[in-house]
Amino acid sequence: MGRFFDWIDSRFGVRKPHSRFLERKIPENLNYSYCLGGMAFTFFLILAFTGLLLSIYYVPSEKEAYRSIVMITNEVMLGWLIRSLHKWSATLFIIFIMLHTIRVFLSKAYRPPKELNWMVGVLAFVVVMASGFTGYLLPWDQKAYWATEVGTSMIQKVPFIGDYLVYAVRGGTEVNGATLIRFYSFHILYLPITISLLLWAHFHIVKRQGISKGL
Amino acid sequence: METVDCRLPTCLMERRVFLKRLINFFFSILVLIAGSALVYIYPSKTKERKLHYVYLIDEDELPKRGVRKVEFKYKTEDIVMINRAYLVISDNGINAFSPVCTHLGCFVNWDNNKMEFICPCHGGKYNQKGEVTAGPP
Repeated sequence: MGRFFDWIDSRFGVRKPHSRFLERKIPENLNYSYCLGGMAFTFFLILAFTGLLLSIYYVPSEKEAYRSIVMITNEVMLGWLIRSLHKWSATLFIIFIMLHTIRVFLSKAYRPPKELNWMVGVLAFVVVMASGFTGYLLPWDQKAYWATEVGTSMIQKVPFIGDYLVYAVRGGTEVNGATLIRFYSFHILYLPITISLLLWAHFHIVKRQGISKGL
Repeated sequence: METVDCRLPTCLMERRVFLKRLINFFFSILVLIAGSALVYIYPSKTKERKLHYVYLIDEDELPKRGVRKVEFKYKTEDIVMINRAYLVISDNGINAFSPVCTHLGCFVNWDNNKMEFICPCHGGKYNQKGEVTAGPP
């Protein structure tokens, strides 16, 4: 692999202008737990990639959704693999974000001047959970339907505005085809864009402020 | 590629060499996954679905008019399926209907008093022709 990049670099000079990115200094005495964030990001990339592929065959309509998923799993070549990768990466993504958060907390990497980065991280986590919630409905099977029914019913309990909120989230009084379509839109467009922006900020702050020395 | 001192029973390797090899390995996995995307995108031929004929019931046992529920078994390539159907005998002859409600998939019941199919889950109603008359579907 290195030889391939050497070939490209000797012709296009890619390494030198990116030297500040490629040759970052990190403190000594770090352990592998400092890689957890990057692992979570890897899962995010896998989710984005497999999600793009799934969107080629998935149909977000009340009538077609379940059948399109069955088709992806059984008829599309390697469809079972792409769908499985997507599903498992989603779970692992959240697990590794939690592990990463624990590491940041235990190594006290949230103290000034890094408080803002912690907040950005928490915000990103919330958006990731929303992604998981919206994605869960898309197979439109019994599990998806009832999980969404229960989840959105919780929103109804918010004082004063609960009913309006749930009407807005569901696109109607109950979970129906409109819910599926707006959840799909949020899942593939609005939420990934938001996560990308937040992660860009997250990485940028780390780059600027450096990685804190291990305890 | 750096050479590795492998004369010892446990092959000692510099950490840098090991990490480089590890990263190369993961990179090649990534290339495989990316390549699988091309296979995935290429449309696959759908398998031809064979038409199965299933024995339901003797014509003599059917009423001249009305609705009759039948249960039947049939075998596909891998599994034995047990299913039901509603047979509606009317001026149009004998029609077989799937018992599955088009709303969310519960089995509907035939109400002989009201002469309509009623879904117990959300109150969907169908007439004898299978058209929706009330409710969610």
